[in-house]
Amino acid sequence: MRKKLLLLTLVLFSALLLSACGGTVRGTTWAGLAADETTAYLADLSLVYGVNLKDGAEVWRFSDPDDNKAQFYATPVITSDGLIVVGSAGGKHILYALNPRDLITNGDFKNPAIEWTFTGAGGAWVAAPLVVENKLFAPNADGNLYILDLSDGQSQKQPIATIELGGRLWAQPVTDGKRVYVTSLDHRVHAVNLADYTIAWQADIAAAIPGAPALGPDGNLYVGSLASKLERFNPETGAHQSVLDAEYWLWSTPVLDGSTLYFGDLKGNFYSFDAVNSKLNWSIQPDGAITANAILQNDHLLLATESGNLYAIGKDGKTLWFETVGGKIYTTPVVAGDLILVAPLETDFYLAALDSNGRQVWTFPAKK
Amino acid sequence: MWNLFVSIFINVLLWIYDIIGQNFGVAIILFTILIRIVTWPLNAQQMKGAKAMQDLQNDKEWQAIQKKYAKDREKLAQEQMRLYRERGINPFGSCLPTLIQFPILIALYQSIIRALAATPLDLLKLSQSINPNFLDVANLIPLNSKFLWMNLGQPEPYYILAIIVALTTYIQSKLTLPPATNPNDQSAAMGQSMAITMPLMLGWFALTFPSGLSVYFITSNLLGIVQYAAQGKANWSNLLPKGLRKE
Repeated sequence: MRKKLLLLTLVLFSALLLSACGGTVRGTTWAGLAADETTAYLADLSLVYGVNLKDGAEVWRFSDPDDNKAQFYATPVITSDGLIVVGSAGGKHILYALNPRDLITNGDFKNPAIEWTFTGAGGAWVAAPLVVENKLFAPNADGNLYILDLSDGQSQKQPIATIELGGRLWAQPVTDGKRVYVTSLDHRVHAVNLADYTIAWQADIAAAIPGAPALGPDGNLYVGSLASKLERFNPETGAHQSVLDAEYWLWSTPVLDGSTLYFGDLKGNFYSFDAVNSKLNWSIQPDGAITANAILQNDHLLLATESGNLYAIGKDGKTLWFETVGGKIYTTPVVAGDLILVAPLETDFYLAALDSNGRQVWTFPAKK
Repeated sequence: MWNLFVSIFINVLLWIYDIIGQNFGVAIILFTILIRIVTWPLNAQQMKGAKAMQDLQNDKEWQAIQKKYAKDREKLAQEQMRLYRERGINPFGSCLPTLIQFPILIALYQSIIRALAATPLDLLKLSQSINPNFLDVANLIPLNSKFLWMNLGQPEPYYILAIIVALTTYIQSKLTLPPATNPNDQSAAMGQSMAITMPLMLGWFALTFPSGLSVYFITSNLLGIVQYAAQGKANWSNLLPKGLRKE
C-alpha cells in the first residue's frame, strides 16, 4: 500500500514537472529569421537552417558539435560577402560566421563551413548585429557592444573595441551614419560615435527597452519602452520627450513610411503615428500581442500577431485581408521576392511561405 | 487556471521584491516563508497523519491482522481499511499535503523563470502575468538576478547549493522519521528509503534548475526543521550513527 502510494506520488510529481515545466512551446523563445534572394535563414532551437525559397526544402543546417547547449534565436545577418552571422545562447555564447557557399556533406545533411567565430562574449546573443561598412556592431546580453572588423581575415575574431554599455542588450542597433544607437533593458539608450567608438550620449527613460530604435523622417530617434511610451530623441544630444502613450508595453520597432510611424503594443493595439505633427492618426486592435515589427509592402502593411494571424492593413487602418498561419507569431515576418515568410511558435512547422495574398505556398518542414 | 496560479505567485513575488529594495534572493526567501505560513495547517496535518500511521504500525491489532492475513492480500487490505475507519485515520493524510507542495514548487519555478526573463519569450509571458495596476513592473525590469555569488536565473555552477539542498533535505527527512520500534514496520522502511532518494532528487534539481529554486528548497527545508523542532517532534537522535542512538 505504502509502496504504491510512494510510486503514485513520484509519478504524479514527474508528470506535473514534465507537463508544467516543459509545456508545448517549441524552444526557449521565438526564432530569428532573415532571407536573401534565394534562401531563408532560420535560427531556431539548436539549429540554424538554410531553406530554399523555391520549394521550402532544407539546403543546409548548422549546429555546433562542440556546444550541445547552444540555442539560436538571434536574427541572422547576411554580410555583403554572403556570410551568415548568427550568435548562440544557452551554451558558450559564440558568434559564428557561416559560409553557405562552402557546404560539407555530413550524413543526410549539409553543413556550412564556419568562416570565423567570436567567443569573447559573456552573455547570450539575442540581438542581431549591425553591419556598417566592414565593421560589425554586435550587442550582447552581457551589456557590451563588441565591434569586430569583418575584413581582418581572422578566423578567431578579437574585437577592435568593446564598449561597456550595461544592462542586457537585446535589440539590433541602428545607425544614421554618424552614430550607432543601442537600446538596453536597463532603461537606457546609448549613442556611440562611429568615428572613434566613444559614447556620444546615454539617456535613461526609466523603463526597459526590449525593441530596437527607429530613425524617423525628421532625423529623430524613436524608441518604444515597457513604460508604454513612444519616446523621441534628439540624435545629437540625447534630449528626449514622450510623444505617445500606448495602452501597454511597446516592444516592436516602429516602421517608417514617409512621415508616419507604425508600431504595435503587447495588448495588441496597432498605431499609426504622424511623426512630423506628433499626432496619432489611428489605432486598431486586430488580435493578440504584437512583438513583431510591421512590414511595409507596396501600399499596405503586413502585421503578424501572437494569435497566429497575418494581417494586411491599409494605410488608413482598414484590414485588407488576414490569414491564419497557426501557432503564435512573435518573429518579424520577412518579405523575400514574392513570398512572405513567417516563423511561428507552437506549430508542427518552423517556417511558412505565403504569397502576396496570404495563401500558403509551402511550409518547412513540409506538411505530411 | 494554471496561468492564474502562476500569475498570483509572480505578482506577490515581484511585490515583495519591490518593497524590500529589489533583492530577488531575499524576495524568494520571504516568499517561501509566506508559503510555509499559508501551508502550515497542511504540514501540521501531514505530521499528524504520519504520527497516526506510525502508531498504527505498533498497534497489536494491526500486527495481528498482518500475521493472520499475510497470505491473503485482499483480505488484509479490507482489514486494514476497517482499522483505518475505526481509528479515524486517513491513509492519504500524510501524502496529500506533500502532493500539494508539488504544484507550488512548479509554479515557483515558472515564476522565477518568467520574473528573471532571460529570454524574450519569458519577458513576454511576464507581461501577460502581471497586473500593471498592482505593480509598476516596467520600472522593476530587468530584475536584479544576483544574490550572493549566484545568478538566480541560472543553475549554481559550484555545486555548493546542490550539496546544501541535499543535506538540508536529508536532515529534515531524518528528523521527521519516528524511531522504528517494529522491525516489520513498512512505513519506517519506506521513510528510510525516502530519506535517501529525496535528497538525491532535490540535489539533482538544484544542479539542473535555476539557483532561485535551490534558495526555495533550502529555505523551505530549514523552516520545516524549525517547524518540527518547535512542535517538539524533531527526532534528533536519527542524525546520529546507528550505534550511538538511544533506541
